[in-house]
Amino acid sequence: MSKSKGKLEWRKLDNSAKIFPISAGKKYSTVFRLSAILNENIKPKKLEKALKIALEKYNSFKVKMKLGFFWYYFEHNGKEPIVRLEKEYPCKYVNPKTNNDYLFKVTYFKNKINIDIFHSLADGNSASIFFREIIYNYLELVHLEEIEEGIRTTRKVEEVTIEDSYMSNYDKKAKSNNSTKKAYIIKGKKINLGAISAIHQIIDFKQLKEICTKKEVTVTQYLSAVLIYCIYTQNYIYNKDSKPIKLCIPVNLRKYYSSKTMANFFSYITVEANMEKLKTFDDILKFVKNDFKKRLTLEEINKTMSGNVKLGINPIIRFIPLFIKKIIVRLSYIEIRKYTTITYSNIGRVGIIGKYQKYLDYFAMLIAPDPVEKIKCSSCTLGNKLVFTFTSILKDNKIEEAFYRFLINQGIKVEIESNGVLDDISKKN
Amino acid sequence: MIYPKKISAKKTGIIIKILLLISVLVALLLTFINKKTTPDIHWAALSNAGIVYVWITVIYSMNKNINIAAHVMIQTIAITLLNLYIDHLLGDEGWSLNISIPIIIIIANTTMFILTILSSRRYIRYAIYQLIILLLSTLPIIFICRGMIQNVIALSYIAIVISFANLIVTIALSAGDVKDEIVRKFHI
Repeated sequence: MSKSKGKLEWRKLDNSAKIFPISAGKKYSTVFRLSAILNENIKPKKLEKALKIALEKYNSFKVKMKLGFFWYYFEHNGKEPIVRLEKEYPCKYVNPKTNNDYLFKVTYFKNKINIDIFHSLADGNSASIFFREIIYNYLELVHLEEIEEGIRTTRKVEEVTIEDSYMSNYDKKAKSNNSTKKAYIIKGKKINLGAISAIHQIIDFKQLKEICTKKEVTVTQYLSAVLIYCIYTQNYIYNKDSKPIKLCIPVNLRKYYSSKTMANFFSYITVEANMEKLKTFDDILKFVKNDFKKRLTLEEINKTMSGNVKLGINPIIRFIPLFIKKIIVRLSYIEIRKYTTITYSNIGRVGIIGKYQKYLDYFAMLIAPDPVEKIKCSSCTLGNKLVFTFTSILKDNKIEEAFYRFLINQGIKVEIESNGVLDDISKKN
Repeated sequence: MIYPKKISAKKTGIIIKILLLISVLVALLLTFINKKTTPDIHWAALSNAGIVYVWITVIYSMNKNINIAAHVMIQTIAITLLNLYIDHLLGDEGWSLNISIPIIIIIANTTMFILTILSSRRYIRYAIYQLIILLLSTLPIIFICRGMIQNVIALSYIAIVISFANLIVTIALSAGDVKDEIVRKFHI
């Protein structure tokens, strides 16, 4: 986005993005993080330059958020982005006032580069494209001679747009398929003083894949089932609550519709596990497999997506002034959040061009937990390392530990990295 | 290690418990000094109410992740002015200078002290507010020098000592951060 004909360019927020600035706050940041762990320490000046080059290519990120009368909107941001040493907890609220108005934050620590992104700006897929561009630029700046000139010049920038793909793909006639049942909410004491615990479980992908093939399930299905099983054995059975464990899985809609947008274009499916009928892990795995099959169809996905779009374009909602929308949305979000037990987002394999891979160890993704969904999970894969991350505001890490033990008992090699807030699990392993 | 060192949840819990214990001991000590020195003026009750106020503000602000230092600074200025005005309206008896302002300064500095201890690696966020509070904390020195304080002079001395102790702690903990910030802001 840039100045053209003396006018400052601006754009509307896409259909999903609209809701985030209205509902977001310090306790519900709607921020997610991507981290790349390199095999060498980070050079901050080079990283700053790499970020500036990436912003020239993907200028949909070079924006600030402005307040309109009915909705927020994006406007070109002429300021320089800031690269800082990592000091805060991950996925904290990105305050534009202290960030040159940017809605993302690039930080580094030793051999790690992070990008914390406010969800209005991008979803996991487009954030990953932008982040990879920063990493490529950085490696090219640092290893100028080692990375051949040919690769640098021929590495094409992915063709992208910033269209609102929701508007061009939703079905006006589709009926909503939203569940009306409230979800089981994970219980436990919260960590003091706004701290967030991050625990990464670095899983041997080949060994995991072998087990999944044997069980005839996908990796996401298998890990979802392990997660539900751990919530059931470590939290659910200790609390008298008959509500189902509802697992929310974000879905990249670009796989179902032809879209190259860098704006948000995702939906979700909700796996609703009624624990009265599911007692063993095999029961849960079988159920998850069938439920994925049922829900991951174009028809079902279209119903969910269209239902949400219709809400956003409802004429009554559109013409309510923003300050009133904020009150309504924040009040209704207290209720809406009670329909999900936990979110698990798997962005899959992070595609890195071969010659660049030797500089990278692994990638990680983190999602901000909130007072209702106290734990959130995410995963991504680079080479043979699938990094499954728990971000949590709960004082005990029994679910995380049970997850680790379960995989170990299946003969899968797992390593642990954490930010030390709940240091017990790291010390044990 | 791929994260900066943070105080673990367990350690934070222990620190909070220690600071709570110190608060109780300080409250008991103040009550004892009050009884022994000026039993007719119950200033210790005000101080102890201040300690409760500190804890409510600190816990609320930290959980909300707001810039508590800015709040403390604004509240310090506002309450000081309000006290001076009420004292003036009630006939300039001097209780605002003798008792209120020293207590407000003690509370503000104690709050900032707890905040600095608990907010690992975020001192810089509070630096400018901390400096303004410290500047305000020099008021009792001026009052004493100009002979404006007649009663409970010990309270003013306590306020001054706490302010300077706080200044030393702040400098010790945030010198590096302040230097970084100056280099960033004034680079050519």
